[in-house]
Amino acid sequence: MDFNYVIAMLLVALGLYCLLLKRNLIKLIIGLVVLTDGIHLFLISLGYRLGGTAAIVSGEMFSDLPGFAAHAVDPVPQALVLTSIVINICILALALSLTIYAYRHYGTLDPSKLRRLKE
Amino acid sequence: MAGMTVIVRTIARLLFPFTFLFGVYIVLHGHLTPGGGFPGGVIIASSVIMLLLAYGIERTQKRVGFLQAEVLESVGGLAIAVLGLFGLLLGIAFLQNVFPLGELGQLFSAGNLPLLYLGVGIKVTAGIILIFYAMLFAFRGEEK
Amino acid sequence: MSLELLIQNALLVFLFVLCLIAIELKDLLYSVIVLAGASVSLSVIFYMLQAPDIAITQAAVGAGVMTVLFVIAISRTRRKE
Repeated sequence: MDFNYVIAMLLVALGLYCLLLKRNLIKLIIGLVVLTDGIHLFLISLGYRLGGTAAIVSGEMFSDLPGFAAHAVDPVPQALVLTSIVINICILALALSLTIYAYRHYGTLDPSKLRRLKE
Repeated sequence: MAGMTVIVRTIARLLFPFTFLFGVYIVLHGHLTPGGGFPGGVIIASSVIMLLLAYGIERTQKRVGFLQAEVLESVGGLAIAVLGLFGLLLGIAFLQNVFPLGELGQLFSAGNLPLLYLGVGIKVTAGIILIFYAMLFAFRGEEK
Repeated sequence: MSLELLIQNALLVFLFVLCLIAIELKDLLYSVIVLAGASVSLSVIFYMLQAPDIAITQAAVGAGVMTVLFVIAISRTRRKE
């Protein structure tokens, strides 16, 4: 189980490296997606317990709710991650639209050249 | 985007009903199995986008136009608001259940949860199709 | 080490390698397709971590909507980095 946290932290480091060092706006957004994937993996791994079952009550489990609660994984990080995925796709669409506008306006995708004013 | 070859068009036409039906299944069974309004809506929107990529914009827009998608999104939002006000009008909290609960595990059970998921599914479908149309038509006037 | 844990660790390594390739490739279109593969791998890991709800959402969003959004943005701008 510790390997999950190692990979999650490596993904966050990889996303930060991409955000800091790459010189292309679409590559920066790809780095943002990788960073978010790392955070999602970390949160889901926090809620997992060894040998646990999914936190969904079906018919026959309903008679034994304390036994179900003793075996189920934590559903709170899953709800958080679901909200985070929804927000992530909205931020992605907004950032890609801004990238298209910036390319039309400046003719380049290099963020260090976006500083000059359009003459 | 002008559309693709005959092979892609045939596969997209054959695959469209199954993808659409799977999305509807995910939305309708949101209170029983994994899934719900958002994933089902995304799957339905993906099936429409698949047609859009295979057949080009002009032919798809006759089926699902810009105005229709906007009206559908408003209808989805309105359904959620009306369901919430239903509980408020009867003197209990916002979005409180007022319908009969039914039997556990049946399709028509759990009060207003299936209706709520239906509203969320319609709104997500229309919203994602609208995002695609907006990104495709952003600079249409300047091109060519 | 059980078989399930072995598969899960292999998928984690696969996910990391795919993300590294997606960041380092020079062609943006290839990079986006590799990122969709990484997303599917992450969705299988979520399913093995007993979160089927997140797995469905991640697969639909990551392989479906996100890829097409990136492809439209690349077709409107430049393909090479």
